[in-house]
Amino acid sequence: MSATAEAPPMRIIGHPQPRIEGRLKVTGAAHYAADHHLPGMLYAVPVGATIAKGTIAAIDARVAEQMPGVRAVLRRGSFPALAAAKPDFASVADLEGTVYVDERRPPFDDDTVRYYGQYVALAVADTLEQAKAAADAVRVTYRAEAPEVDPALTAGEMTVKSERGDPDAAFAAAPVTVDQRYGMATETHNPIELHATIAAWEGDSLTVHEATQGVVNHRNVLAAMFGIPREKVQVISRYLGSGFGGKLFPWTHSPLAAAASRQLGRPVKLVLSRPMMFHAVGQRPAITQRIRLGAERDGRLTSLRHDYVNATSLLDDYEENCGEATPHMYATPNLRVASGLAKRSIGTPTSMRGPGAVPGLYALESAMDELAIALDMDPVALRLKNEPPLDQGLGLPFSSRHFQECLTLGAERFGWARRDRRIGSMARDGLTLGWGMAACSWLAERFPCSARVELRADGTARVAAAVQDIGTGTYTIMAQMVAEALAIPLSRVEVALGDTSLPAGPVSGGSMMSASLVAPIQAAITRAGEALVALAAGNPAAPFAGAKAGALRFAEGRVAAAEGNRQAVPFDQLLRALGQEAVSGLGRAEGTFPPKEKPTHSKHSFGAHFVEVTWQPELARLRVSRVVSVIDAGRILNPLAARNQIEGSIVMGVGMALFEETDYDPRSGAPVNASLADYVVATNADAPAMEVHFIEYPDTHLNALGARGVGEIGLAGTAAAIMNAVYHATGIRVRDLPVKLEQLLG
Amino acid sequence: MQGFAFQRAADAAAAIALGAGAGTAQQGARVRFLAGGTTLIDLMKLGVETPETVVDINHLGLDGIGRAADGGLAIGATARNSDLAHHPIVLAEYPALSQAILAGASTQLRNAATTAGNLLQRTRCMYFRDPASACNKRAPGSGCPAIGGAHRMLAILGTSEHCIASNPSDMAVAMLMHDAVVHVQGVGGARQVPLDDFFLLPGDRPERENVLEPGDLITEVTLPPAEPGARSCYLKLRDRVSYEFALVSAAVSATMAEGRIVTARFALGGVGTKPWRIPAAEAILAGQAPDAALFRRAADLALAGARPQRQNGFKLELARRCLVHALTQVTA
Amino acid sequence: MPDPHSEVQAAVTLRVNGAEHTLSIDPRTTLLDLLRETLHLTGTKKGCDHGQCGACTIHVNGRRVNACLALAVAHDRDEIRTIEGLAEGDRLHPMQAAFLQKDAYQCGYCTAGQIMSAVALLDEPCGPEDADVRELMSGNICRCGAYANIVAAIQQVRGS
Repeated sequence: MSATAEAPPMRIIGHPQPRIEGRLKVTGAAHYAADHHLPGMLYAVPVGATIAKGTIAAIDARVAEQMPGVRAVLRRGSFPALAAAKPDFASVADLEGTVYVDERRPPFDDDTVRYYGQYVALAVADTLEQAKAAADAVRVTYRAEAPEVDPALTAGEMTVKSERGDPDAAFAAAPVTVDQRYGMATETHNPIELHATIAAWEGDSLTVHEATQGVVNHRNVLAAMFGIPREKVQVISRYLGSGFGGKLFPWTHSPLAAAASRQLGRPVKLVLSRPMMFHAVGQRPAITQRIRLGAERDGRLTSLRHDYVNATSLLDDYEENCGEATPHMYATPNLRVASGLAKRSIGTPTSMRGPGAVPGLYALESAMDELAIALDMDPVALRLKNEPPLDQGLGLPFSSRHFQECLTLGAERFGWARRDRRIGSMARDGLTLGWGMAACSWLAERFPCSARVELRADGTARVAAAVQDIGTGTYTIMAQMVAEALAIPLSRVEVALGDTSLPAGPVSGGSMMSASLVAPIQAAITRAGEALVALAAGNPAAPFAGAKAGALRFAEGRVAAAEGNRQAVPFDQLLRALGQEAVSGLGRAEGTFPPKEKPTHSKHSFGAHFVEVTWQPELARLRVSRVVSVIDAGRILNPLAARNQIEGSIVMGVGMALFEETDYDPRSGAPVNASLADYVVATNADAPAMEVHFIEYPDTHLNALGARGVGEIGLAGTAAAIMNAVYHATGIRVRDLPVKLEQLLG
Repeated sequence: MQGFAFQRAADAAAAIALGAGAGTAQQGARVRFLAGGTTLIDLMKLGVETPETVVDINHLGLDGIGRAADGGLAIGATARNSDLAHHPIVLAEYPALSQAILAGASTQLRNAATTAGNLLQRTRCMYFRDPASACNKRAPGSGCPAIGGAHRMLAILGTSEHCIASNPSDMAVAMLMHDAVVHVQGVGGARQVPLDDFFLLPGDRPERENVLEPGDLITEVTLPPAEPGARSCYLKLRDRVSYEFALVSAAVSATMAEGRIVTARFALGGVGTKPWRIPAAEAILAGQAPDAALFRRAADLALAGARPQRQNGFKLELARRCLVHALTQVTA
Repeated sequence: MPDPHSEVQAAVTLRVNGAEHTLSIDPRTTLLDLLRETLHLTGTKKGCDHGQCGACTIHVNGRRVNACLALAVAHDRDEIRTIEGLAEGDRLHPMQAAFLQKDAYQCGYCTAGQIMSAVALLDEPCGPEDADVRELMSGNICRCGAYANIVAAIQQVRGS
């Protein structure tokens, strides 16, 4: 359901469109990375360290090497050392793509083990069964040291990320205060698709089928690690079994597979196991946050302090940017946000859906609920009371902020007015009800991006970019953009993506893909139209014989004379008349950050979640039963896919609040629950009834269509809303996620 | 997975003859019978089970479900869990058994998993399942990292200083409540073992989980006739709604007359190193009017001697609530 | 212990989507790996390899099972149906069409398993409510969380 405001009517954009690649997905014909087969392909299985800290004393692969079908057991020194791909933050503005990795150390770089599961060897054999048996037969001895996996996180040094006024004095003077700590367990992405690499060399050229959210970045990193030109590397990821950030940047298995392939002269397939998905491919780190709020008795915030510390690996400084939304969420004259790191013997963390804002808003929105209770004020009213006139952190107006409408519409749709504020006071069918709410926000920016659009004589068009569809619906949205602009049916648009041989595009991250594609696709269509006009002008065969190029216009897929009333000619008809198969245009557009000049607006999406939980104290049974979410994310390009994104985020939020926790044994440093039986995610039966509303105010500060992203915002605030509802039902305030039923037993 | 020879047994005698060379029928068995495979293949992939020979027993005709000679239920060893859960006799007379099976795993797993395989499924202790870790059950004498480690899911009853692994079966809890008997054919002939005696406590030999010896083949499980007029149910508590092992569970059955309990029986899951039943705790219910305090006393008796660890002490209270709730349901 | 340097092969005949395949295989091969790596029927997916996610759900003799926990050699002459065998030519199975129409997926990786479960569910004892479907579909994890649409797709097919 959506309410449209200020949006001009469109034919294809803004209407629910089933996915154009859907048929391939429902028939099993969509080929994901691990589905590719190359002649002579070998299978590789990594051997992971079984200590979390120490050094490798010896690797005995004699038995493994003699096993049937085994081609090699590779380890440090088995192939020329790989270069470290230095992450280049400035490359985010590069139209030819980023060079970014989270774990910088190349595989097999030294004999030091810094986290459990770090690859120490790689068994390669003719079949998967042989490779696995060989990997199991490799005997590694270690000089182990005590790992650092203390879950209590403290940072040596805090870095101030945002500051205004005098938050300390204001907090001291505030008549009502909240000062609480909020903890979050390590979460592991666990896309159902396992990380996979198929690497093949032909001469000095490398082709890689990779489960990645960023083919161009992946190519650039591999080229740097192998010291070869980028044009010698092709990375392909046409279908991705989702990533949630875990597949944004290359992990060490990918160069390992490529090195093995080069070494053995055969294509190599390497698919991680599910336990390995907990080791060396990132996770949302454990985080501790402290929120201090000071308020007047009428609810106005006078001070907001947000301190957070996340665990990171021994070698890499991954910062979980928990304070991203804090400076702009609410009005307060005094604020400080500060961040710190705690080094642990863990694999390098990485972005997980809504990095920063998701954990940050868990803490802030929980604290706001506690403040509302301290003020004896309705939590919706408290948020309405603190609406900021502008982004006080940046000192900039918002490009489009309709947060108050999210709150009021959400409250109305949920029936919030019927809420009895007293703990445990509401019931239905013998179950205690808890009602809670929380706000959400997510940034809206664009990456640099290119795209090529081809207009064909058969009436179809092709749009191509080296971007990815990670399940969010990019295939369909690209087709919608082209179909809309050319005034042709969606079915006449072919989309090519996920291949570095196409015009360079960004990673699928930050919910920025759709916004990033708008300008380059429009530009590509314009260029293609210009090419068509140039062909038509002066061509005696054409309907526009004798016309000058400047006298012709290309719009909505048709060429027409700028003056006079000669009929506009559709591109396909014109191409046929010209005897041309096709024309194409390349469009390129810069991104919005790092900004080349001071930005004019603060660009964010907003929303509000209203949650009902049911609580059965006699069985300590807690369920999330109903969620209403109102999302202000600009124009919604495909409501069908967009609603799916928000609902999926809510389901993941249920997991974040109630289930998800990667459990590191403090003695071994091993994530002991490294399986989908022991790392609990939400099943179908855990999904609540969901109602999603989009309030659509196109944000044309971001792009011409006014679309922001919807991939992540739904997860922000969801866990806080759930936990606020849990408090309302039980009277127990759990500040460490996930909540376990024993904390609610009483 | 380590290599193995695959054999399809032509008949029970052939299977028993092959199994006789297993060295042990417990951890470390060199010969394993393959039925549904949902435990065995899983553990072979992990390297926890490393049989040299796998003997397929799916074609021995052991998959029947029907009336036992005494009017009870005879369940073939390789009857699929799904078939058992949906069997008309089970639905009509042993509903707690149907509920218990359907509360476990997923439809896909239940379609493959068998009666005997379910009884023989191994603990979900994460250290047991990881050969890189110490584990007294998997590698006797190597130690128990679950004690002092991650053990929220593990047992509080029947434990020892060597092992606190919980038995994960739901089906076995309901069967125990129904006085199930395990029928075994072995090298020395056939024998019948009451289910409560079938499972062993870990003590100082946690690698031994049941009474089976090399060559022993479970052929069927029988349940005595259901008590006329009894109401029964299975209640399972876990973190998520479905597809997860029990934190605690209870299979209960009761007959009532004139507002009083005539007979009551119950067994608990998720709390013990084996499915847990204490007849003395059931006995205090007979002749009494249903009452939460009474049920709580019965629960306390059943849970007597519990030795919780740091993370799983909550199971005591949760098990009490589970049992009280289930007994209240069948006596209402 | 068998000599690790020698390799036993076993003969097996599988009927997959109506086609018969007689193969000599490593007994360790699961149905899942055989479908994917030998027969190149890659629609069936590996998500956990331990019966914990449902991505590999196929039909064996008409019933849904996890292909990752089935030894191929133990399924001699069994009828196996995978996602590739569901449509009749260009005509999608109604469940496939419903998944497409209801957007009952995002990334599509768990989808084959979801659809194979959903098709099997049509012939299983299942109550009429959404909650009944949810319970019987809980053996198929969708990390994208498209559960609401999956239930809607299944209910649409059951209602028609």
